[in-house]
Amino acid sequence: MRNTRDTQLLFDLSKPGRRAARLPACDVPERPPEELLPAGAIAAAAPALPEVTEPQIVRHYVNLSTQNMSVDTHFYPLGSCTMKYNPKRNERAAAMPGFADLHPLQPAETIQGMLHVLYEMQQYLSEISGLAACSLQPAAGAHGEYAALLVAAAYFRDMGQSEQRKRVLVPDNAHGTNPASAVMAGFDTVAVKTLKNGGVDMADFYAKLDDRIAVFMITNPNTVGIFEPAMRELADAVHQRGGLVYLDGANMNAILGVTRPGDFGADMQHYNPHKTFSGPHGGGGPGAGPICVTKRLAPYLPGPVVEKELRGASCEAREDEIAPFSPLSPRNSQLHRYSLTSPPKSIGRVRSFVGNVGVLLRAYCYIRTHGPDGLRAVSENAVLNANYLLSRVKHFLPVPQGDRCMHEFVASGSRLKAERGVAAMDVAKRLLDFGYHAPTVYFPLTVPEAIMVEPTETESKETLDAFAETLFRITGEDPQLLHEAPHTTPISRPDEVQAARQPTLCCPVF
Amino acid sequence: MLKKALSDCGIRIADCGLPIAIAEFGLRIAEYPIPKLLAAIAFRNPHSETRIRNPNSAFRIPHSQIRILPSAFRIPQSLMPYLYNTPDDQREMLRAIGAESIDELFAPIPADLQLKRSLDLPPAMSELELDRHLQMLAGLNDHAAKKVCFLGGGSYDHFVPAVVDAIAGRSEFYTSYTPYQAEASQGNLQVMFEYQSLITRLTGMDVANSSLYDGASAAAEAVLMALHAHPQRRKIVAPASVHPQYRETIATYLANLDAELVTLDCPGGVIDADALAATVDGDTAAVLVQQPNFFGCVEDADRASAIAKTAGALLISVFDPISLGLLKRPGDYGASIAVAEGHTLGTPMSYGGPYLGIMACDQSLVRRMPGRIVGETRDRRGKRCFVLTLQTREQHIRREKATSNVCTNQALFAVRASVYLAQLGPQGLRETASLCLQKSRYLAGRLCENDRFSLAFAAPTFKEFVIRDAANDVDGLLRTALEAGYLAGLPLAPWYPELSDCLLIAVTEKRTKAELDGLVHALSAAPARQEALS
Repeated sequence: MRNTRDTQLLFDLSKPGRRAARLPACDVPERPPEELLPAGAIAAAAPALPEVTEPQIVRHYVNLSTQNMSVDTHFYPLGSCTMKYNPKRNERAAAMPGFADLHPLQPAETIQGMLHVLYEMQQYLSEISGLAACSLQPAAGAHGEYAALLVAAAYFRDMGQSEQRKRVLVPDNAHGTNPASAVMAGFDTVAVKTLKNGGVDMADFYAKLDDRIAVFMITNPNTVGIFEPAMRELADAVHQRGGLVYLDGANMNAILGVTRPGDFGADMQHYNPHKTFSGPHGGGGPGAGPICVTKRLAPYLPGPVVEKELRGASCEAREDEIAPFSPLSPRNSQLHRYSLTSPPKSIGRVRSFVGNVGVLLRAYCYIRTHGPDGLRAVSENAVLNANYLLSRVKHFLPVPQGDRCMHEFVASGSRLKAERGVAAMDVAKRLLDFGYHAPTVYFPLTVPEAIMVEPTETESKETLDAFAETLFRITGEDPQLLHEAPHTTPISRPDEVQAARQPTLCCPVF
Repeated sequence: MLKKALSDCGIRIADCGLPIAIAEFGLRIAEYPIPKLLAAIAFRNPHSETRIRNPNSAFRIPHSQIRILPSAFRIPQSLMPYLYNTPDDQREMLRAIGAESIDELFAPIPADLQLKRSLDLPPAMSELELDRHLQMLAGLNDHAAKKVCFLGGGSYDHFVPAVVDAIAGRSEFYTSYTPYQAEASQGNLQVMFEYQSLITRLTGMDVANSSLYDGASAAAEAVLMALHAHPQRRKIVAPASVHPQYRETIATYLANLDAELVTLDCPGGVIDADALAATVDGDTAAVLVQQPNFFGCVEDADRASAIAKTAGALLISVFDPISLGLLKRPGDYGASIAVAEGHTLGTPMSYGGPYLGIMACDQSLVRRMPGRIVGETRDRRGKRCFVLTLQTREQHIRREKATSNVCTNQALFAVRASVYLAQLGPQGLRETASLCLQKSRYLAGRLCENDRFSLAFAAPTFKEFVIRDAANDVDGLLRTALEAGYLAGLPLAPWYPELSDCLLIAVTEKRTKAELDGLVHALSAAPARQEALS
């Protein structure tokens, strides 16, 4: 049960002389720090951290945790974020000392099990995307976008086209990270209009497509939750102009084993394993952002990547000879060895060490738990759940894109706004009172009063029914009650304007 | 159906085994659920073949001969551990939707773009099988409890108190997302506000964000901030004593921008102030200083700061959070931006990620800072509360005009760092830093008792140091030490060819005197190559 009294700051609990940690006595001969370090480098005092006891810490943070909604406690249909169940077996796996207590610069022969996982992940992600090569380096989806755009830039530089190809085309309903990543990678962005159904406006697309194109970035299924109707044509047109197609893989949960980005024209894509492959979202992170690319872009991938050597021979050459065996069966461990290598024309690294392996390890567990048909079943049920919820909601909240969707849909509260003065935000806030996390609201910007719902496959029909009924009930509630919602949460609506106008970003030191 | 599929290939069911399962788990087909066998065999890549093994002979099944089984034979939902929908549920839901089948829901995807086969992935595993598989893989790794870890270079074997795991293991923290709905996220928001406060106290800086990916990318983001703050200046100066992977990351980030990364040699293991002063000029946007630096040496940060300030450039400090128990804070020596790898605050080494990118800066730069920032405000009833703020910097509002493309932070590791810092407190942090200092200096002294070893640099060190092998056989040393149970250090040759006879050795508070003496013994016992000694 939530302790509503405990909202003090950690610093309020501090009292001089309290402490939680006791360290072992120094077991080597000690010398005064002043003898060991230059006087000018030593701090006058230790940093002003709070002085608290361990029971205080535990009560403080446990009570704070109860002020969050989370997937483990609430239905969390936050569109675009794929808030699916985070399996406990994955958490246990990532905490195994054999994975968690490895130094990132250990010699390869001491981490063959870890490298096996990462090598396999490269293979799995390539297979799922239908693209030839994979780098696990990027630390998040946006970081993956950025790394892939750097790959594209390096490729065009190599082709002698970097002066000519400066433009990145981005549909106007794309995630904000797309244009931001393109600018960071040194490109100019050009927004392409989209239609009411979420598809690309082909006339506007052709008007903006010319030989200056470097990359066309597309989210497919798109942020409105439909599969881009003109995908083939778009990809062909970009390729004809010598450009590359980038797939924002945020919505991979809809198409696992159904269709593959490489098969529908993408040259590059990132994954969000924290979405698609159930790595938890961690209150905002960590995630990971591995990228896959076609064979001709593979030499430019960020390194290091994991390589499998077969006693001198290349891996493919002898793969058939070992097919009946697990890669790590006793006989086979003699046959090959994993190592880290940098692709020949690599853009370099985009962070330290190999990647967010803890997240990738969880994704590995998820893929191994499901197998090929299980992954397809994930997408089938994600799409089924979303369509079912859409069929229940559309009668009272119009869904401009139509009667069908992929893994998510965007309803519009514009009629509600016009007729009753109730905003999408009011609906979102009121849902909190009924124990549901709010959907994503006001995104994409192309749908007025957007309410973006992604139920995921790990929810039951009963939950979806109850959610739809609650949503219906809310649309009929007293507008004033809705404007003031939520009413039952630890706080009421915060004053965001004041927070931004006079920022207080840390607790002052008294 | 299974029998037929297999008999089409001329195989009797009793004869064959499941290749992967046999090799890994020694299971025979008779014990294996039929749906899993289908997954393993029937849906392989049509362009290759699967080998079916029996105890006496091997068969190869060309995939062209294997029929894709109808959807009636897809794995029953009950085998998928996280799905709810029973066949009855599915039928009912499809009726409500007005669709005949699930396949119909995918009709918007043109048929020629749909995958006609199953993904070529290994078959599904039960939790028990997965656990056994992972135990086997984990067992192939020499983790820190199996080999004593003296490796550093940006990742360190510091102690993680149990309370950190207990709090971070609360699923209200790890299964929530970015706190867009402040009313349903006060837990995360208050933790992040407190984290920002802890980081400002730790660093002596004005403000901190609620974290970035890792130390290297935080350094690169700091460089971009500096370039935006000084649009007329295009030069970034980084001494060679800054972590090579951080410099590589910065170089990657700058590759397509109108900016230049200038590396300053550090033959003495620390910044040569005169050389720095000669390099920094009116075109320099920022100077990086790592404290203690990649070689473990303590830099004269005040001096470097003064040189940067004189030229009107920003000082970017790359600091070690643990060292701040003893050393001056970045704010004390005038850093404009301070970044760090924060995994050392309560997150295990985890083979290098995910980690915690710490970033703090001067008040004047706050609106150029990337990433999430949490601020204090009041709710409608006047109660103190916390929200994401200054969001007009961010990509979801500003798109191509954002300060950065960063969307996520490492919130869960901000939780870990906060709990760690609270657990240690000022005294605990000081003692931890002191143990690192005392033990590393003890080890350096003991090693140098042997004529074969000497310190590569004269500058004082904190918890890492570079040792030079007079016999010039770093590989041999590492091999001998590994056999004796020690990950003795990092060879510097890959980054610094001129230091190919050197090892970087790190010592944390976890190392005991017995382990330090053991390493000395192991390295001293290493045979030296003849040609090197002569």
